Amino acid sequence: MTARGDQSKAGYSHRCNLTQLAIQILRQSIPLLFRLLPFLFYGFSFAIIAASLMHIKLNTMKKILFTLLCFIIALSTVQAQKGINFNYTYAAGGKLLMNIDSLAKNVSYDNIFPNQPRTSFNYLPEVHHLSIQINFRKNINIQHYRYTILIDDKPMVVNQPINEAQLKDSHAGGDEEIFRSMILGTFNIKGKVITTLLYSIDKPQDIDKAVFYGKPIPKAQIKGFAKPTPVVNGYSFGSLIDSKEKIKLNLTKKDDELTIIKDKSAIDYVYYTKIKDKQTNKIIFESTAWQYGGYIDNHEFMPHIKLNKTVFKKSGDYEIIIQPLFSQWNITPKEMEKYTARYTLAITLDQENYSKSELWIYVLRAVLAIGLAFIVILYFIKKRNQKKLAENEQQKNTAKLRLNAIRSQLNPHFMFNALSGIQNLMNKNEIDNANKYLSKFARLTRNVLHDRELISLAQEETLLDDYLQMEQLRFGFQYEINHPENLDLDITEIPAMLLQPFVENAVKHGISKKGAEGKISIAFMQQGKDLLLTVSDNGNGFDITKKNNGLGLQLSNNRITLLNDIYKENRFTLAVQSNPGGTKISLTLTDWL
Amino acid sequence: MKAVLIDDEISNLENLQALLNKHCQQVTVAATAQNVNDAVAAIEKHAPDLVFLDIQMGEQTGFEVLKLLPRRNFEVIFVTAYDQYGIQAVKFAALDYLLKPVDIEELKDAVNKAERKLAAQAPGSQLDFLLQQLKKPEASVSKIALQMQNEIRYIGLTEIIRCEADNTYTHFFLADGEKILVSKSLKEYADLLRPNGFLRTHQSHLVNPKYVKSWLKEDGGILLLSSGEKIPISKPNKETVKKALQQL
Repeated sequence: MTARGDQSKAGYSHRCNLTQLAIQILRQSIPLLFRLLPFLFYGFSFAIIAASLMHIKLNTMKKILFTLLCFIIALSTVQAQKGINFNYTYAAGGKLLMNIDSLAKNVSYDNIFPNQPRTSFNYLPEVHHLSIQINFRKNINIQHYRYTILIDDKPMVVNQPINEAQLKDSHAGGDEEIFRSMILGTFNIKGKVITTLLYSIDKPQDIDKAVFYGKPIPKAQIKGFAKPTPVVNGYSFGSLIDSKEKIKLNLTKKDDELTIIKDKSAIDYVYYTKIKDKQTNKIIFESTAWQYGGYIDNHEFMPHIKLNKTVFKKSGDYEIIIQPLFSQWNITPKEMEKYTARYTLAITLDQENYSKSELWIYVLRAVLAIGLAFIVILYFIKKRNQKKLAENEQQKNTAKLRLNAIRSQLNPHFMFNALSGIQNLMNKNEIDNANKYLSKFARLTRNVLHDRELISLAQEETLLDDYLQMEQLRFGFQYEINHPENLDLDITEIPAMLLQPFVENAVKHGISKKGAEGKISIAFMQQGKDLLLTVSDNGNGFDITKKNNGLGLQLSNNRITLLNDIYKENRFTLAVQSNPGGTKISLTLTDWL
Repeated sequence: MKAVLIDDEISNLENLQALLNKHCQQVTVAATAQNVNDAVAAIEKHAPDLVFLDIQMGEQTGFEVLKLLPRRNFEVIFVTAYDQYGIQAVKFAALDYLLKPVDIEELKDAVNKAERKLAAQAPGSQLDFLLQQLKKPEASVSKIALQMQNEIRYIGLTEIIRCEADNTYTHFFLADGEKILVSKSLKEYADLLRPNGFLRTHQSHLVNPKYVKSWLKEDGGILLLSSGEKIPISKPNKETVKKALQQL
């Protein structure tokens, strides 16, 4: 162990010669021996009674007595060792040094506290005897110094000048420098508080104070809490609160501060306060100093600390911990608990406070959450779009299929009647004609069965020509297919079986009853970039405003709708004109050429 | 036999006339007509024994000719290009029809049959029956005409327990215990009666589900009818029969 000296150098030990030490031990053991006398007496009488009862021989008796005596002497020697150890000197603050019981434990010396720069606190709860020594540098005007010693606040010596006759030269810790020193006194400190005050008359305000605390430091107590809402009659404390109790506090918008009031003690300054967030186990507040003024109890200013409300970020449980703060104190946490006051504070906040970093975290989380939600929504939208796209595709496909279905529906009625017509040619022995029409019929059927999406206008012309010739065989009308020279029929393509249904309508509803007078005109025309296809007949016409004008027109309209579904952009436009003099359908394929 | 030919297409008329002249010499073509009005007039004028009637005539139908006639004391052979409107009713009425282009053998058979019928019974009842059927929606047929040797019978569909094939003939087993033999294949009746719920349980069996009592698991599935008869179910028909019976 090293001790810390004042003014000179830290850590020096005091050296005495051996005789001095022996005298010291003897001096210490005499009162101890006196104290042990009753035990010795009882011991001897017990031994004699026991011996007489047990008929032990005198020789043996002597041995036992000797052993016992040796034991007692050894014990008293140990006791004597517990006396002041002058070999070991502690710094005690200011110009003071101290020597204490050699076996004393739990010693904390020369503690300086915030706002108490001239006070040195020496904690000696297990010390019995204390010797206080004062050291002066040689250049100091010793006559100007005055000292006061208080024992438990009762003055023993007041403003005493230094008796220079008692000053001796001494080396502080083997230092070159020689100090003038004297022993201020030796005290029985157990259960007492000894306070020394030292000042120079040159500076009577600079009083060095040393406190030698010879009893356990009491646990701090919270006297109450106050919210600084001004009341006419000052503030009223809450009732005394047991540390086991949970203190519930509601901090409203109006409350800015919370004041924690501690009980009054002569050594308030040794206590420091911290507040722990029980959820995070983090210390959110620490204070080493107490404030005075404003809170008065029993005519005394009460020590208190003020907390800004923002210390408490969230509602929840907080722990107020008040304990002594010594710079050098070897103490186990378990022992420390004896000095520690703990209070649980259940805070309810009307408005939660967040620190910047917390806010950032929350903002980040919110952004993340929103981002995630956004991504999820985006994902679903995309999925839905994909589904829509797939549906569109499917729609297109079904449209195609349906178109195919309509396309392949070359009217069976026509087909079988056409065959019947060929049968008639055969029966009439018009074998050449029968061959011709049979070939046409075969080609027509082949074209219809051959499932192509697009065919050239030339192919369409052939198909219509075949078809109309077959129909001609049945009804004997006239027809023509016209197109301008500059329209390239081989290159221009149109959806297969586009015109056939319109032509069939013209035959069926237009001219079938007119016989040889009937006439059908088909024209392929170019109008700018559009392809215009027309089918006209000189039949009796029909009322286009009437619904259900035969299956044919309905089918045609369906076909146009389907084609627009497939090719998009409404590129197919159907116009129907009909009057009693005839019917004309015009099919425009926009931007086709 | 005096005949009137009705078709809106002249080539069909020519063709049919040529075929009749060549293959059915017992038929004399009294007149031809290309539209409904002409047809009605021709029939009233000539009072034919036999009428060849095209079903689809432009925008009109051959049935309209029949409707317009006050007396229908002649046999009709329908001629149609394609199985479509009305053909089902024609079949329920057990009337004859030809498909275009006309098959010569079918034509001969139809003419012969008509001749036999004319000799055996007073014509016209089947046409009345047909016109009645045409007035109703197609699925709600409740009776069927069965052509027997010398008579025509109109049987309620609910009276039929089952039909059984006998080569090209079909036996009808009726609820009152009567058994009728008809000279048409079971397939034709199966096609005709299936929309009315009849079950083809087997190649040679057609069953009215109303008379099914239970499904016996013996021999891989047998239907027990309320008449006590056991009708086999052939493997390929099992699932459809099962499904149909579950829906009842």
